[in-house]
Amino acid sequence: MADDLEAKVKKYLRGEGANLEVLNDKKLKTQLAIREDLYGKSAKAAADVEKWLMPSEGGYLEAEGIEKTWNITQESIAREVDILSSKNQHDIILPDLGPYTLDFTSSGRYMAIAGRKGHLAVVDLKNMSLVKEIQVRETVRDVVFLHNELFYAAAQKKYPYIYNQDGTELHCLKEHGPVRKLQFLKNHFLLASINKIGHLHYQDVTAGQIVANFRTACRSDAMRVNPFNGVVSLGHSVGTVTMWKPTSSAPLVKMLCHHGPISALAFHSNGHLMATAGRDRKIKIWDLRKYDTLQTLPGHAISLDFSQKGLLAYGNGSSLRILRNNSDSQSYERYMSHSFLKGYQINKVLFRPYEDVLGIGHSMGWSSILAPGSGEPNFDSWVANPFETSKQRREKEVKSLLDKLPPDTIMLNPSKIGSFKPPRKKEKPTKDEREAEIEAAVTAVKSTEVKKKTKGRNKPSRRAKKRQESIAMAKRPFLEQQMEEYNSGQKRKISEEVQLPPSLQRFAKRKVV
Amino acid sequence: MVVKKPKNWNSQKPENTRRFIASGKDGRKKPSGPRLPNTMKKVLDRLNTRSPVDSDGEENEVKIDTEENSESVGNDIYEYEEEVAQEELGKNRRFDSVENLNYELPDDFEDEDIPSDDEDTDDDGDKDDQAKTGFNAESEEDLGRHARMLQGITGMPIEAFEGIKKSKGNMVSVTRPESEFNPSHNVLDGDNQITIQDLLDPLQGKAGYNQLRERMHHLEKKSVPIQAPLSKPEKEKVERKVAYAISKKEIRKWEPLVKRNREAPTLYFDEDRDLKYSTVGAIASRVEPRTEFEKKMHSLVSDKKVLEAHANDGTRLLELNMISVEDEKERSDRIAKIRNLLSRHEIKQKHIKKIKSKTYHRLLKKDRLKALSAQMEMDPEAAKEQARKQEFKRAEERLTLKHKNNSKWAKRILKRGLDAQDEGTRAAISEQLQQHETLTRKINSMKDASSSDDSSDGDDEDSADSEQDAALKLIEDAREKTVKVLEVDDAIPSSGVFSLPFMVRGLKKRREAAIEEAKLALEDYEKLSKQMDDSQEASNNSIGVSSGRMTFGVVKPQTENNKREQRFHDDSDTGDDIDVKEDGDNGRQYKENIQIGIRNDSLLFDEDSHAHKDSIFKSFDSTHEDPDDKATYEVSIFASDSWMKMKDGKKNVNEDLSSQKNKVVKSSSHNNHLKELIEESDTESEGQMVDGILSAGPTRPYELPSQAELVRQAFAGDDVEEDFEKDKKEILNEENPEPEKPVFLPGWGEWVDVQKKKGLPSWMLKEHNDAKKKREEALKKRKDACLKHVIISEKVDKKAEKLFTKVLPFPFTSEEAFEQSMRVPLGPEFHPATAINDLIRPEVVKKPGINIKPIKFEEVNPHAKDEDQQDSKQKMTDNKRKRRGGGKVVNKKAR
Repeated sequence: MADDLEAKVKKYLRGEGANLEVLNDKKLKTQLAIREDLYGKSAKAAADVEKWLMPSEGGYLEAEGIEKTWNITQESIAREVDILSSKNQHDIILPDLGPYTLDFTSSGRYMAIAGRKGHLAVVDLKNMSLVKEIQVRETVRDVVFLHNELFYAAAQKKYPYIYNQDGTELHCLKEHGPVRKLQFLKNHFLLASINKIGHLHYQDVTAGQIVANFRTACRSDAMRVNPFNGVVSLGHSVGTVTMWKPTSSAPLVKMLCHHGPISALAFHSNGHLMATAGRDRKIKIWDLRKYDTLQTLPGHAISLDFSQKGLLAYGNGSSLRILRNNSDSQSYERYMSHSFLKGYQINKVLFRPYEDVLGIGHSMGWSSILAPGSGEPNFDSWVANPFETSKQRREKEVKSLLDKLPPDTIMLNPSKIGSFKPPRKKEKPTKDEREAEIEAAVTAVKSTEVKKKTKGRNKPSRRAKKRQESIAMAKRPFLEQQMEEYNSGQKRKISEEVQLPPSLQRFAKRKVV
Repeated sequence: MVVKKPKNWNSQKPENTRRFIASGKDGRKKPSGPRLPNTMKKVLDRLNTRSPVDSDGEENEVKIDTEENSESVGNDIYEYEEEVAQEELGKNRRFDSVENLNYELPDDFEDEDIPSDDEDTDDDGDKDDQAKTGFNAESEEDLGRHARMLQGITGMPIEAFEGIKKSKGNMVSVTRPESEFNPSHNVLDGDNQITIQDLLDPLQGKAGYNQLRERMHHLEKKSVPIQAPLSKPEKEKVERKVAYAISKKEIRKWEPLVKRNREAPTLYFDEDRDLKYSTVGAIASRVEPRTEFEKKMHSLVSDKKVLEAHANDGTRLLELNMISVEDEKERSDRIAKIRNLLSRHEIKQKHIKKIKSKTYHRLLKKDRLKALSAQMEMDPEAAKEQARKQEFKRAEERLTLKHKNNSKWAKRILKRGLDAQDEGTRAAISEQLQQHETLTRKINSMKDASSSDDSSDGDDEDSADSEQDAALKLIEDAREKTVKVLEVDDAIPSSGVFSLPFMVRGLKKRREAAIEEAKLALEDYEKLSKQMDDSQEASNNSIGVSSGRMTFGVVKPQTENNKREQRFHDDSDTGDDIDVKEDGDNGRQYKENIQIGIRNDSLLFDEDSHAHKDSIFKSFDSTHEDPDDKATYEVSIFASDSWMKMKDGKKNVNEDLSSQKNKVVKSSSHNNHLKELIEESDTESEGQMVDGILSAGPTRPYELPSQAELVRQAFAGDDVEEDFEKDKKEILNEENPEPEKPVFLPGWGEWVDVQKKKGLPSWMLKEHNDAKKKREEALKKRKDACLKHVIISEKVDKKAEKLFTKVLPFPFTSEEAFEQSMRVPLGPEFHPATAINDLIRPEVVKKPGINIKPIKFEEVNPHAKDEDQQDSKQKMTDNKRKRRGGGKVVNKKAR
């Protein structure tokens, strides 16, 4: 129990305090010590109330004896769970309007579905009611919710469109072109899209302007946002994954993940893990801190997704698998599997936030199955509230708009923001630059008016002398700097001379420290 | 302060001093005395409990001796030997042998506690004295001296030695004590002075003697030889030193207090806050009556009787309220009088009102006017007022057009026709109109006057304006007249020849004809005025352009208008008009404009014949309507171009138009291309914002890729790994370009023949190698150096630069400490409510309006820090105002 609390405290402390012993400044030391003390108290208080704020724990499937968790069928799960949960097991058969893709709101209450052949709908999953459905009579490739359930964007045949919940077309984003995949960056209010010819667009949905527009190397079928840092990743047909941010036209990272085209991508919510699936029949899990593979699994995947708790689902054809992180071996192992009828072609798998539910969009409609232990059991109503009232939603909208992050804050390691970063060392200034600097300083001195001195000190000769002196003074620092550089260069040379060849170095006298 | 002995004394009698001190082991100054036998010494040691007072008394005695023999002090040098001789001789047998005297010094002896040299010398003198003078020959005196000496040595009272004296048996008691009446021998002899001791001795045993003696002793003891005063700077230095030490000590006591305040995360200055007035009642109680009324009220309210009555059950209040009969009567009389006056006045007014005599009223009016005019003459203020009133009326009229028969009533009547109305209404309507006219006419006249003033200044524009105005006025006048005619004609004579039926008929016919004519004329006038208006507008516009006046707001239509005019100029006319236009003469231009206006009309009539012209307008209009500013701007440019061309008159207008259209479109597309080019040429500053939008790709609409590209895309990814490697190499080369291969320049750097033999000069090779090495090192430093399948961009994002600190904030010197301190976010979302307040409390808590008093001293235990904090915590729970940290800090940080 005490250990548990300690672990929680550690979590809230967010790392170790600085080593105060090293500091020379007494005042700073006391200040920091007081701060640390307060942090400790705060963390303890937070840990103490955690049991009240986060009362429930996630469940999971447990196999008995020789039973295997992946052999447990949905029917047997349905027998065990309560009625509310069993409501989440359903198949909606919509055979006409072709493979479906889907998206959830951040609270997991609403689901947007898009049939390939133009069927768009928003479903309230809490009371299982259809909010609105429309038929756009065009190919729809992707659908994504914007900041709340009231707006969603659909990638249609020629352009992406933004609709509101009632199905009214609000905007047609012509600049994006025929978009293949859409993603929405919640904290930055950016709608990112990749179109057929590999152009990546970022559009600010608050002000409406295109924030960035990049040409990526080649076509890409997969696009995901890293929820940790807002970096958009694209999976390309040449097997590379590129990561982008709206403020640089070159990819931040480009990594060769597969030998074939990449078919799916997914990010763990902690931002360290990435899963990729390629056409070379491999699914790889990457550690993004090292840019190295953690695990390679065999298999195809049309769609990949990490759940909030770290389950990894991938679907291919009519079968679906869920992997689970084995805490002992730090590797993903088979956890559950599910298969549809033969004709079904899975198009998209997506875990529903804050529920142990996996949504699947396939060629015959959509289904949702139970995946115990996938969703975060405790929701924070300040972050995402499944039981949100309209008033709360409005409040939250305003709040999130106020907290909107500028696109510059997207970077690979956003936790470094605010830290110390010394200005880049400039290359040695050229001679001309130096001269210009000196010139500028001298002119600045020359332009200053000399004060009128009392009689006798105001002679022309004195004035001239004074002027010259001031000019010399202005020049001096530059010259000194030059001298220093020159000297240091000489010193280095001398030290280089002194350095013995490696074979003789062991005979050299060691420096007494 | 240590007083130094004079040197010569010290050197002269080292042994002496030593000896004396040796006899008193504890190093106290001892007057000299005879050496005691060992047995006696032992006894003395045992009894060694002398009182300081006594010893002091003894000293005094010794002092006397010294003074007695002061004359002999001068020749010290010889005395030394004599002294020795005296002891050796054993003259008075009181002394023991002195052989081992020098060796009796104790080991721990220190020659330090010599209070004064004087005494020593006195002692010496005393001894010498004894040796010299032969007083000691007399036994009595000898005994007395002996006792004194003993006392001096041992510090014991003389009585202690009486036994010894008695046992000696050769003691003669002094019958008379020494006093001023009985001076001592020395004095009597005349070679000594009377000392205080001499005077004091006789008082022994009397009341107050001890005190007196003590005081004397005190005086004497203090009488240390006064040193020569130190030099002033030295003295000051010493003083400063002392002062420093003292003040340092004084200051030190603040240290814990200051330390506490410095260490406290927060200082509170809201202690002992005193809200002077807490309630409204308290505030009210302090109000002092100031005005007369207030004072009166106050005197009434604070009347003792009333207060008393209030304090009691209040029945007395009624008594106080009693009114006397006289008072009441007086009041009612007064009221009756006032009422009477009022009613009289009323009656009088009624009477005046009832008077129906016109003459009376006329006279009254006349009087009033007279009075008014007189007032106006007399009083410029009144005149001004009158004028203002008039002006106000006029302005009101101008604003409301109240008398222009716009009211509902007037409209209704006009609708029904003036003919159908009775005379009164008609008259009312016409009167209204007239009133309006008068009001507005007056304005016009005033305006004219002002404008004439302006025009006299010589402004061309105004003259043009006035000219135009005049024309307009003419038309207006004509119209008015016709209207009047229309109105006036209504009246049909009811008597005389004209009332005959046929005459009436004839008249009617004529009138109808006249009305028709008048109507036509009216229409004409209206048309004319319209044209005038148009032309005026145009002229105004042109004037605005040509005169270079500042114009705000809607400029576009104006230019359009101008252009249209220009078009007409060159279509219909030769270059004369243009010349006129270029000529800045506004008056002429105005005329021209009128002409143009007329021509304009005429041209507009035969629009059909000039269809192509029309189309030009349309196109221009459409382009003008285009909301895009740029487009209109460009169009205007092109328009001017075309206008020049048309001036040449060589091209067909239609063609021109089409080409223009194309040009417009092209230009816009061309502009787009330009933009793209600019963006793409900006490869160095990749990712720069253009118009606030970062765009690396084109902004033009999506186009289908070519067939070849499609094929390439289809077969892309055959050899993925190699491609990737190539890619990486490219990027690496881009960031760290490979050094150029050394170029062989014959004859450069070395002799040609040497070069031929040796190949490239060594420095060239070296340079190349260095560059290569450098590049390799740079590549090694890259994050993706070890990762074959990853390219991590090393480009610095300038925009993200602002999110980092470039310098460590002040107190921090180490990066690590800073970053660790920044790791915890400070926000209500990240901390429980119980903890956040402590985290974000400001350094100083102070309510506005509180004086910060200077620091006050209070005891602070520097070591009980933790305890203190705990205490203060307790306080926090007890009393919200005393929060944690420094407990109660009454004062500002002492910095």
